[in-house]
Amino acid sequence: MRAEAAGACWHCGEALPPGNAVLAVVAAVPHPVCCPGCRAAAEWIDALGLSDYYRLRSATAARAPDHARIAGDAAAWARPEAARQAIRELDGGRCEVLLAIDGMRCAACGWLIERAVGALPGVASVEVNAAARRARITGDRDRLALPAIVDTLGRAGYRALPLDARVLDDARRQESRQAMKRLAVAGFGAMQAMMYAAALYFGDVQRMDTTTRDLFRWLGLLVATPVVFYSARPFFAGAWRSLAARRLGMDVPVALAVALIYAASLVEAVSGGAAVYFDSVAMFVFLLLAGRYLEMRARHRTAELADALALHSPVFADRVETDGSLVRVAAFELRPGDRVQVAEGATVPADGTLAGGECTVDEALVSGEPVAVRKREGDALLAGSIVVDGPARLCAQRTGADTMLSGIVTLAARAAASKPRLAHEGELAAARFVARVLALAAVTALAWSLVDPPRAFAAVLAVLVVSCPCAFALAVPAALTRALGVLARKRVLVVDPDSIEALARATHVLLDKTGTLTEPRVALDDAHTRAGVDPAAALSLAAALARASSHPIARAVAAAAGREVAPAANVRVDAGAGISGTVGGVPMRLGHAAYAIAGRRRRAEAGTIDPSLDDALVLADADGIVAAFRVAEQPRLGVREAIDALTGAGIAVSIASGDSPARVERLADELGIGRWEAALTPQAKLARLERLRAEGARVVAVGDGINDAPLLAGADVGVAIGSGTDLARASGGIVLVDSRLGDLVEARAIARETLARIAQNRRWALVWNAAAVPLAALGFVPPWLAAAGMSASSLAVVLNALRIGRREGARAGIGRSVTSRRRSGLAAKASPA
Amino acid sequence: MNAIVALIPVSIALLVVGGIALFWAVDHGQFDDMETPGLLPLEDDATGAESGAGE
Repeated sequence: MRAEAAGACWHCGEALPPGNAVLAVVAAVPHPVCCPGCRAAAEWIDALGLSDYYRLRSATAARAPDHARIAGDAAAWARPEAARQAIRELDGGRCEVLLAIDGMRCAACGWLIERAVGALPGVASVEVNAAARRARITGDRDRLALPAIVDTLGRAGYRALPLDARVLDDARRQESRQAMKRLAVAGFGAMQAMMYAAALYFGDVQRMDTTTRDLFRWLGLLVATPVVFYSARPFFAGAWRSLAARRLGMDVPVALAVALIYAASLVEAVSGGAAVYFDSVAMFVFLLLAGRYLEMRARHRTAELADALALHSPVFADRVETDGSLVRVAAFELRPGDRVQVAEGATVPADGTLAGGECTVDEALVSGEPVAVRKREGDALLAGSIVVDGPARLCAQRTGADTMLSGIVTLAARAAASKPRLAHEGELAAARFVARVLALAAVTALAWSLVDPPRAFAAVLAVLVVSCPCAFALAVPAALTRALGVLARKRVLVVDPDSIEALARATHVLLDKTGTLTEPRVALDDAHTRAGVDPAAALSLAAALARASSHPIARAVAAAAGREVAPAANVRVDAGAGISGTVGGVPMRLGHAAYAIAGRRRRAEAGTIDPSLDDALVLADADGIVAAFRVAEQPRLGVREAIDALTGAGIAVSIASGDSPARVERLADELGIGRWEAALTPQAKLARLERLRAEGARVVAVGDGINDAPLLAGADVGVAIGSGTDLARASGGIVLVDSRLGDLVEARAIARETLARIAQNRRWALVWNAAAVPLAALGFVPPWLAAAGMSASSLAVVLNALRIGRREGARAGIGRSVTSRRRSGLAAKASPA
Repeated sequence: MNAIVALIPVSIALLVVGGIALFWAVDHGQFDDMETPGLLPLEDDATGAESGAGE
């Protein structure tokens, strides 16, 4: 059972505001919770009879959002246009919905969701995938109510987003199931074939009689046949496709080898010839399929990133009709030229320009820039940013799939679909090798048929088997799989396995500044702070409220205050605007100037806000502004060491920033970076990158915002900072989960080791073949030795790959348990931007 | 020798049964999600667990 931390919210585990009186009654026992949202969620879960959730869970829940906000979303799913998009009709009067779910922290959430949704009318089955944070719901077409599902989950503290029915990953699921079956058949077959082959090999030594020998040969044929005709079908299909297209793809030699060895063994078995190789052919197919299976799993994993983006993209919009009325429509229904009203705290649904008035926009999700930006009439607004003080009127220009946000999603999807080049190269090497072996086998056949025709067949078979390219085909997947595992344990997620090769060969590192090298730091702005307020006291008051939010600035405030935090009650976070609550008995508001002073007693006196406070963080009570803070930046911890290590390894490090030259220069001097460029637009950053690449450099780009996304996608390796925007994480090939630049240095070491091992494995396979093939061609290798040698060389390759990260692993103490790693991974992904 | 003649068909029959069971399991989604069930404690009986819920 979990130890309840004293003073922590029963539902979400956050610190309780002192003097808090909110109690949630779960299973007839009152528990303290931090806010009304959490109380509502806990009591809703109890009302559903699912209070066991609290016993099962291994991580605390996400802080429950305000229900009122979700209620609007749920109701909007009742619109037929929206429902049609999300619900897919199945035959037999059934239908299916796929939901992306935000707020899932551990597997018990999956348990809760399955039961909560499963109890709704019309729902037939609920499948929750905790790792992908998706739920697939099937049910009765007439009775399944999408709004009820979204509402039930919303009340329990989860945000559910029905995904576009077209993205239902049927093809992917089908592919994964097929691959699983083929692999299993090949595995079973190879195992059995090996067993019968072992009997044959011992029989050779102990003079087995011909009847028994033939029996075992037929048995071998029996188990190898499904492997060749079922499991190996993708190779034959691939070979046929490339031949039809008049290309010599890599499936061609593989298919040819499989077919030849099988056919030859069949002929031998029928004619009672010298040797059969059913074990070898089954093993060959199994190992090749295993490599492809691992690669497929890595490819499929990328779907989570697209989901994370979908969850943060706007779903609904309030369209302004010609008569001035507002209609709530799905965001995909918007057309360029439509006028849209965006309420305070709501997400901008389309790219467009601000029509009339001014507003402040938090673009943290889009640009990674934590300070809200003031926009004037005609300024561009990007879909996905949050309007801080609204409402704002937007004239839509790019909607649906054309927005910058969607562009990134498409980019991520395309990256996911492309095959890893490194694995590709491995298969190509294997294919070339097989082609050569086939040529050699032909030569052997020709030579023997001139010298001693009866022995020709056996010698050709021995050449084919002993040179079996498994070791070649396995070299890359084995090393890659191991490297990805080692890196994941070091909290470096490799999304695109190609990055490993590029990272090992990198010559340049291009760094973004804000959010990558630096983090926000708050300082008191004396000019606007009320006379008599002590700086430390002001910080402590602000931190009391800021603790409630995970926004980068709020975190910086809480960190600056340290332990000196005043008690606060009734804390409420208004996403994208600020935080309000009662500190020391006084109602206070912290946030953008307009938000903070909205709580003043005498509203009439409001007047205008000092424009110099536009980008400041303001703390105000009923009498007006108490204190103002300026947000500055400081280098992240460990950045200097990481840069020294990279420079020391001979890598050219430079900064490419969108910030002003003076600030960039100051930071560059502080960190000892010689080369820097400032005031770059995303396009200019990309141009800078392309110039470098044209000069033959291999560039690693590190960034965190959407303005870095083109850079990350275009670079040889895109490295996204874990605390950065989801958009950046989707375009990067590597994600540093703990946001430590030092991890990149370690990742590079592992990547280099991986390439070294691959090269070693290839050399090993080459040496083995150079030694064994001539002997086989000359007819000196008996079948059992050929098969044993083939297995031994494959084993050697796998064992060598397992050595990757060994030494570092022992030093860094890779001892964290699997579950705690997964759990923290989930939690890290679940943290709101 | 007789033992082998009897046991080999048995082993192949078992193999076929195992294969069919696996195909059934794959087709019924048992292998679609390899992560979630492993994370979840073995706990389906909500009524029996109720007694332990009041921490």
